[in-house]
Amino acid sequence: MSCSPYDLKDYFLQELADPQRLEVEAHVQTCPSCRLELDRLRLTHTALASLADEEIPRRIGFVSDKVFEPSPWRRGWAAFWASSARLGFASAAMLSVALIVSALARPAPAPRLAPAAAAVSDAEIRARIDAAIEREAAVIEARYAQRTEQLVKDIELRDSQERGAIRDAADMQIDYLQRSLQAAKRRQYVASVSDGGTR
Amino acid sequence: MIFRAVEDADLIQRAAKGDVEAYNLLVSRWEKPMYNYLLRIAGNREDALDLTQDVLLKAYRNLAKLEEPGRFAPWLYRIAHNEAYSMFRKRRPETSVEDVEPRRAAAGASVGASAVFPIELSLAVAGALERLSPDQREAVVLKIYRGFKFEEMAEILGCPVSTVKSRLYTALDLLKEELAPLEARGVS
Repeated sequence: MSCSPYDLKDYFLQELADPQRLEVEAHVQTCPSCRLELDRLRLTHTALASLADEEIPRRIGFVSDKVFEPSPWRRGWAAFWASSARLGFASAAMLSVALIVSALARPAPAPRLAPAAAAVSDAEIRARIDAAIEREAAVIEARYAQRTEQLVKDIELRDSQERGAIRDAADMQIDYLQRSLQAAKRRQYVASVSDGGTR
Repeated sequence: MIFRAVEDADLIQRAAKGDVEAYNLLVSRWEKPMYNYLLRIAGNREDALDLTQDVLLKAYRNLAKLEEPGRFAPWLYRIAHNEAYSMFRKRRPETSVEDVEPRRAAAGASVGASAVFPIELSLAVAGALERLSPDQREAVVLKIYRGFKFEEMAEILGCPVSTVKSRLYTALDLLKEELAPLEARGVS
C-alpha cells in the first residue's frame, strides 16, 4: 500500500494537477517504497512501449473515392434490384403493356354483322391480342435477360477485383512477416556475436 | 503538437462545410492510430481494416454533429468503440457487452515488433495484453498507446471516470506482475 499523498498511478500517468504533482514529487524524494513502486510503473510502461504501432496494410478509402459516391440512378436501380418487389413490378409492367397494346390494336367498332361474321371477328381480335402479348412479353424478357447478364458480369468483375485485393493484402502480410522474421534473426545473430565477444 | 491540433481543427471545420479534400487529409493522419487501436481490441487485421474504413466513413457522414472540433479525437474513438462492439455483438448476439471477447489473433500475429526492443519482449507484452479482459485491454490501449486523458476515455467508453480508472489500474497491476520477470532480467 502506497503512503503517497496522491495515487502514484495518477502521478505517473500525468493525471494530477501541478500542486498535487509537486507534493507527490517531494514525497517520493524521501520515501524509498514509493520510489520503488514508481520505478516498477516506469519499467512496465517501457515494456508496453516495446509493442510498436503497425503500418496499415492497405490504404483506407477516401470519401472522395468513386466507390463511396454512386450516382442517384445507380443507387435507385441497386435498391430496386435488391428488393423483392422487382418480380411483382416486372409482372405488372408486362400486364400493363399487354393491355395498352390490346387497346390500341382493337379495331373501331364494326357495324353489326350477321352472327357468323361477328364470331370470326372476335376470334381474329383474340388472336391479335395473343400475338401482341407474346411479342411484348418476348421484348420484355429479352430486356431483362440482357440486364441480368450485365449484372452477372458486373458481379463477376467486382468479385475478381476483390479477390485481387485480398491476394495483394495477403502478399503484403507475408512480406511483413518475412521481414519481421529476418529482423528477428538478425537481432539474434548480433546478440550471439556480441555475447561471444564479451566472453 | 499544438500546431498539429490547430490544423486538425481547421481541417474538421473545412470538412464539415463539405471540403472533401480536407477530410481526406484527416483520414491520412488518423488511419494508422485508428487501425492500431482497432487491431488491439479486435485482435485481427482484417476486422481492424474493415472497422477503420467504416469508422472514418461514418465520422465523415456525421461530422456536422461534432460541436467542438477540438474534441475530434475522443469523438472519433467513441465511434470506433461503438462500431467494434456492435460487430462483436453481431457475431455473438447472445452475449452481453461486458462479456464480449474479440476474436483472438493467431499466436503472435498482432505483435508489432519494434526495432529498439527484443522481439521476445514484444511477444511477452502482446501475450500479457491478450490475457487481460477486453475492458482492461481497451483501457490500457487508450491510455498507454493513444495517450487519452481519463475524462476523454470516459467519453469514449461511455462510463464514469471511476470505472475507467478501476479498469486501467487493475490492468496495470496485472501487467506489472506479469512483465516483472522480464524486467528483472534487464530487458528494460
